[in-house]
Amino acid sequence: MSEPILKVENLKTQFFTEEGTVRAVDGISFEVNEGELVGLVGESGAGKSVATSSIMRLVEDPGEIVGGTVTYKGKKIVDFEEGPDGELRRSPEMLSNEEMRKQIRGREIAIIFQDPMEALNPVFKVGAQLREFIEINRDVSSKRAKEIAVDMLREVGIPEPEKRYESYPHQFSGGMRQRVIIAMALACEPDLIIADEPTTALDVTVEGQILDLVEDLQQKYNTSFVWVTHDLGVVAEICDRVNVMYLGEIIEQADVDDLFHATRHPYTEALLNSIPRPDQSVDELNPIKGVMPEAINPPSGCRFHTRCPEARTVCKEVHPTYQDVSDPDESSHFVSCVKYEDVGYDDAESLDTEATDAFSGGLVEARGDGQ
Amino acid sequence: MGRLRYTISRLLQSIPVIVGVITITFLLTDAIPGDPVQIMLGPSPSAQQAEAIRAKFGLDQPLHVRYFNYLFDVVRLDLGTSLYYGVPVTQKIAERLPVTLYLLLSSFTFALLTAVPLGIISAKRRNKPTDHISRVVALFGVSTPSFWIGLMLIIVFSFWLDIFPATNLILPWESPANVDGAANQLGVIAKSIHHLILPTITLGTLQMAAFTRIERSSMLEVLGEEYVKLARAYGVSETKIVRKHAFRNAQLPLITLVGLQLTGALGGAVLTETVFSINGMGRLIITAIQNQDFQLVMGTTLVFGLVFVIGVILTDLSYAYVDPRVSFDGSE
Repeated sequence: MSEPILKVENLKTQFFTEEGTVRAVDGISFEVNEGELVGLVGESGAGKSVATSSIMRLVEDPGEIVGGTVTYKGKKIVDFEEGPDGELRRSPEMLSNEEMRKQIRGREIAIIFQDPMEALNPVFKVGAQLREFIEINRDVSSKRAKEIAVDMLREVGIPEPEKRYESYPHQFSGGMRQRVIIAMALACEPDLIIADEPTTALDVTVEGQILDLVEDLQQKYNTSFVWVTHDLGVVAEICDRVNVMYLGEIIEQADVDDLFHATRHPYTEALLNSIPRPDQSVDELNPIKGVMPEAINPPSGCRFHTRCPEARTVCKEVHPTYQDVSDPDESSHFVSCVKYEDVGYDDAESLDTEATDAFSGGLVEARGDGQ
Repeated sequence: MGRLRYTISRLLQSIPVIVGVITITFLLTDAIPGDPVQIMLGPSPSAQQAEAIRAKFGLDQPLHVRYFNYLFDVVRLDLGTSLYYGVPVTQKIAERLPVTLYLLLSSFTFALLTAVPLGIISAKRRNKPTDHISRVVALFGVSTPSFWIGLMLIIVFSFWLDIFPATNLILPWESPANVDGAANQLGVIAKSIHHLILPTITLGTLQMAAFTRIERSSMLEVLGEEYVKLARAYGVSETKIVRKHAFRNAQLPLITLVGLQLTGALGGAVLTETVFSINGMGRLIITAIQNQDFQLVMGTTLVFGLVFVIGVILTDLSYAYVDPRVSFDGSE
């Protein structure tokens, strides 16, 4: 198998706030192969967006990438080495900010943001914005860039692209604007597109159209995608492989089918139980109890143990190892849960958590939900 | 097309505003205590003389008749005759208004040219020493009365250092023959600018301070917008982001403030003109009030009102020019 185009290893990004250090991304690793659509799934606050901005090296103050390696086609986007006094410092191979800007951003890796209503500049014409990014990232003349822009607008399904090229963003609907943003990303001919919840702000019909469009164009241009979402339905529809994030960590990673049908991590299990599935019928959906804890002081041991229905005493003490637990018929299936480790999970006593009865208290009983 | 339509509708909307300004000016002047006739004729005029004067100025008419007379006069650009100067009010205003506009223009230019870069630098270096210095300067500028700044400037730069003159403002359109040491019109302009520096700083400091703060905060806000992040993610350089992608959006609040500050600046012009003995509108209005010259008071107040209305219209129009959403006509 060929080398993955994007390889993230043990990436750590922290925010240094007055309340303390927020470990927003805490040692995640994943790969993206050529032409592959990789999902990054998790609840709000899991660190998905911080992970993507770390890959682009666009983390904003007070955030900082503090460790790990991100390799894109052999180039080190993030790379650290040990300095003489044992401190981590940027390695000489790590691209400078200027190199990132000129060689990577837009040209190699493009990004699609969540909210199309905010992502276009209201005072410039849509076409001019498109043309500018094409000019910067494809080294073409302004005239040629305009042709590319109009072609691309047509490609993403904007009617009358020559006319719409001269329109302002406020003259477009949300779905149309997201098409423009997708046109922008594809027109720069990057090999990787990071889509940060690109359909979250759209209604379901428009979301469906956009997903179909992305699938078609992805096949046509063979672009790789990192698709960030909290919606497992979207994941099932378009992703090849999925990474599930919880509180700054990736806790499970598998091919999309394996993730849905041979689920290993209790968190992924819980996520799947909380949404309706066409392949299973249940009387009542089962939401995940409690809210995700703060990333300033993450729970000890397994970070999910406070909400885990299967939590046992050992979960509080042992931080699980992220390891391959694939069956012979799976390509690879990584999970981070003590259930799959020899640390005494089977003999440990079960733990009172928000997900087990002791904490769920009156709310559940009042609804008559006696499991 | 949207912009043209917007401009026309905005201009039409200003007509009732101007009529309102005229009405209020008229009523307020009428309400001023004291009898102008008495002032014109001295302590104990004969009843006959007083009657004659009243008839001459139409003061014997009832209020509503006088009001409509005045309204029609204004439409014909006749603001009456100044009682104090004995010349038409329009002539006096034509003489003085350009001086004040010259001063306003120069101090707003000074304020904008310093405030915009200072605000942007502060925003880019938030909470760094440059930002703190600009904050202190702005605080000083907002909290210091302009006449005090004027007097201090005169003491330091005219009295002690003798670099800049404190009185006798020379206007750039004066003929070279009337100006000492100016060989041609360019010489006059140079001298005029030299004279204008202290009054400009005096009047412009307050505006500069206010503009700097607005520029800083709106720039900071725009730099956090998604479209700025998008531009960054597509490899646009920071310089270009500030100059192009953020700049236009960041000027919107400033444009509003510039329009509103015009009233404040007119008030400041009264003080500045007094401190530097400049014969502009500010001193004219003071003279008019002190001498109960009711025609002149009405005329000058009306002009101040008009200047403000024009300022607001210009604000709206520049807004429409900068932000396409304002003049958008709704057809998609």
